[in-house]
Amino acid sequence: MKLKRSLFVAMTAAPALMAVVLGGGYGLRAHQRIKSGRPDLGFVSCNHCHQKSLAKLPWAQLRPHHDSPGGMVLSPDGKRLFIALDDKDEVAEADVATLAVLRRAKVPGGPFGLALDGSGERLFVACSHVDQVAVLDTHDLAEKGRVIVGVRPTDIAFCQTRDGEHLVVTNSGSDDISVLTPSPLAEVARISGGREPYAVTVTDGGRRVYVANRMAVHDGVLATPASEVTVLDPANGHIVDRLALDSAHMAEGITAVPKKGWVLNSMIRVRNLVPITQVKDGWVMTSGLAISQADGAVTQVPLDEANAYFSDPSGVVASPDGRRAFVASGGSDVVTVVDLDWLESWLARASAAERGDAILDMAFSYHYVLARIPTGCNPKHLALSPDGSRLFVAERLDDGVLVVDSASLKPLGRIVLGDGGRDDPIRQGERVFTRARYTFQGGFDCRSCHADGHVDGLSYDFDGSGVGDNLLDNRSLCGVAGTEPFKWNGKNPTLQYQDGPRFARVLMRTDPIPDPQLDELATFILHLPPTRTVPWDQVGKPLTPAQQRGRDLFFATKRPNGTPIPRSRQCQVCHRPPLYTNRLIASVGTQGPRDPKEGFDTPHLIGVGASAPYLHDGRARTLEEIWTVYQVNDLHGVSSYWTKLQLNDMVEYLKTL
Amino acid sequence: MKTHRSPRFAIILGLASALSHAQGNTPPAPAPGSGPLTIPVISRFENFGEKDGLPSHKVHCLLKASDGRLWIGTPNGLCVRQDNGTFRRFGTEDGLSHLTVLSIAEDPATGDLWIATLQGLTRLSGGKFTAFTQTNSGLPNNVVYGVAVAEGTVWAATAAGTGAYDLKAKAWKPYDQTNSVMNEPWCYAVAPGKGVIYLGVWAGGVVEHDPHTGSFKAYRDPDGEFHIAFAADSGPIVDVTSWVAYDQGILWQASYFGLARYNTNSATWRTWVQDKTPLLSNFINTIFAHGRLGWAATDRGVSVTDGDNWVNYLVDKDGHGVVQIYRPGKPTETRTMATALPDGFIMAVWADDHEAWFATSNGLSHGVFTLPADSPALTSNP
Repeated sequence: MKLKRSLFVAMTAAPALMAVVLGGGYGLRAHQRIKSGRPDLGFVSCNHCHQKSLAKLPWAQLRPHHDSPGGMVLSPDGKRLFIALDDKDEVAEADVATLAVLRRAKVPGGPFGLALDGSGERLFVACSHVDQVAVLDTHDLAEKGRVIVGVRPTDIAFCQTRDGEHLVVTNSGSDDISVLTPSPLAEVARISGGREPYAVTVTDGGRRVYVANRMAVHDGVLATPASEVTVLDPANGHIVDRLALDSAHMAEGITAVPKKGWVLNSMIRVRNLVPITQVKDGWVMTSGLAISQADGAVTQVPLDEANAYFSDPSGVVASPDGRRAFVASGGSDVVTVVDLDWLESWLARASAAERGDAILDMAFSYHYVLARIPTGCNPKHLALSPDGSRLFVAERLDDGVLVVDSASLKPLGRIVLGDGGRDDPIRQGERVFTRARYTFQGGFDCRSCHADGHVDGLSYDFDGSGVGDNLLDNRSLCGVAGTEPFKWNGKNPTLQYQDGPRFARVLMRTDPIPDPQLDELATFILHLPPTRTVPWDQVGKPLTPAQQRGRDLFFATKRPNGTPIPRSRQCQVCHRPPLYTNRLIASVGTQGPRDPKEGFDTPHLIGVGASAPYLHDGRARTLEEIWTVYQVNDLHGVSSYWTKLQLNDMVEYLKTL
Repeated sequence: MKTHRSPRFAIILGLASALSHAQGNTPPAPAPGSGPLTIPVISRFENFGEKDGLPSHKVHCLLKASDGRLWIGTPNGLCVRQDNGTFRRFGTEDGLSHLTVLSIAEDPATGDLWIATLQGLTRLSGGKFTAFTQTNSGLPNNVVYGVAVAEGTVWAATAAGTGAYDLKAKAWKPYDQTNSVMNEPWCYAVAPGKGVIYLGVWAGGVVEHDPHTGSFKAYRDPDGEFHIAFAADSGPIVDVTSWVAYDQGILWQASYFGLARYNTNSATWRTWVQDKTPLLSNFINTIFAHGRLGWAATDRGVSVTDGDNWVNYLVDKDGHGVVQIYRPGKPTETRTMATALPDGFIMAVWADDHEAWFATSNGLSHGVFTLPADSPALTSNP
């Protein structure tokens, strides 16, 4: 009897269960197709649309903070070194003789760039996280005042101009340059720079300021990009010149060369339109120096050698006699010593063609590279004592400052700021991210294209055959947690898959990153927060009327005349909050002549205002162009009914994400 | 019996006495036309054409920048007169958005130039051109007639509204008939005033916009009649505004049907039409304001006025330059000049205390003044 009953239950329950499962499956698929407007959609997991809260993502969690040294400045007597610790919200003061840290001051807001006035009594701090410049009294490191500048200030310079004391600040997040008076501390001018003004130097006794802009811009996806060195008169904030660094970007360091009247900046000569398979021939990225002479001529020379590269050049300083320069290569853990006298004599006799070709000659650097000084992990900022005898190297991921005798080039010791964070997997992942050892002959590292995890504004030719072109826009890694799959074709389900063996074959051209390091790398990337696109003082504020109107358009389900907008073309269906992506492949009419098929991974829109250009191949230079130039039959959202004012409102809203 | 007078009465008496004394000692205001002529008179013209290196015989607009260089807009690109007197041309190959340049403005804060063209707005900064178009930015329309820069904002008058580009926020605010008092979006000109912006709106008169409060105010022709000014001195001459200009409290409205002047301090209008007043022609392409003078670029020459006195420059049928000087209450003085404007069709004027430049349909002209440049009469407030 019991057996009969059991059999009865099993025989009726099983089909019922199957019906429930099958019915549920069909129901689920129907639900997904209806809600997405995509009848072609196969089964996808629920969390494509029902996403987890941003607060649960890795980058939103508390994480360890480290004593990563940023900008540095020496006191006029050379006895004290001030070091910005942006991750700790501190400025440290060290004794140059004893290499001991004397004291630290709390400076909220991510202190990153430092400058001293002529007397050494006032220390000006560019606070990158809060868009402000603070002034400290160097006697007690007490903060005396603050002023708001542009977004994400990275560097600051003090100059004595014909109109008095001025400060010049590079605002990397708003593409502009602030000119301040130090007393009272106030902004007197805001000038448009290039893309991501990053480093600044003063020349000609305060008559000229040179700004290195980190990213390149281009006039079209197939055009050769160029970054800019902005030259301005610090007295009145007028732009004097905008020097073009052809096919160059990642200019993070700049310095004036005494006695020669030059300005040097570090840079990467990038050939993004060359198939990426050329990495092994050294033809995709060359680390180098750009020499800007007083007559306006700019010459690029390599730091790399034929079979060895020195990636991620950043901090650069010149000796007081103008005869040598020191350049930090953050990806190769090396500081290169450059003979400027040799370069000067060569420039005097070289033809224009020779100057233009120098950056292409991988054997050229042996003429002027005097030495390579090994450093700790990720050397970035440099400082030189006023007499030129001591070189200070900020080892950003080792939490210390290496001190080098500039005559013997031997290390003298280290200013220890922290423990290096080797038990922090995020920190370990950042080391992988910035290490060039995982690429062919150390040619580049992840950061070479993704500075601070973000974009470099370029499209790269990822054609695997080496003969075609398959331009793909470089996507930001900031805020990617939860947005898998990865890659524009959406084929890589995890970051480990993205950066694993296939990546090694296509891009790195060497052995894959070992699994433990790969996991650390993924951990680091997942903890990268979205890029902030609005000024700090506007974060969390209500939307402006224009932004609100744009938001209404974004979430519109009907046209103004009442006709429904198909669900598959409503912005908020594919770009579903809070990540602003449903992580599915979508066809929006943007297939190019060389794309094998239509349909690309829906990118997340958080931080989109700062990640130009747009679309899978970067053809849209601005957000407007997505709809004014590249919209096809309302396939990328229904926009045909928008007026120009409404398009403007939409763009204003997108810039708040 | 003593008579007591209150302290208040004494104060009033004292004030009245002082007032009458003051009035008795104040000289009466001079009658218009008396005293020296306060408008500079050009003694000769120096003309430049394609043979001198100009890229076109036609010149649309002019700007003398703060660095002293003269910038010239033509149908064939932008041109600058260099320190050695030669002309250098810039075209689309240099990054200019279109060859037809309609207006040029300088950002006083940075020295950057903003160039209005038929296909977008171009910024020239540090020798680099950057184009803003209706497809790559929030510029309302590619046809940009006029441009001005004030308080960190670039104002572009276009065929589909006016765009305000906040240079610090890098954000555009477009204005048209849907969000302002404009009755239609076709904007011909823009001029910064004292804390406000004046827009010359085709068939919309002059619109005054306060960007701080967001308010708009329209100045419309009170009689609403295009061809006849029924009521003189009552408002804009017509609603069809071809240009606006402002300096030292005076707003000028140019039209194809006459000239109007609005004193923003006294809130009073003056209007002029040809034949009935000394205005040379009703057809005014643009007007340039310097101090209290308005320089009207007409299809028959140049009229410059301070509202009472006039000096006209024209070219007679024999090609001779003629200057006419009108002063109220005095006979008109007409003189033939040794030199002449290259053409009577004047597109634009730029002038200061020392010189004047004219954009004509047949070249560029430089007018040299005879009145001493440091004469206080040229730059005194109205």
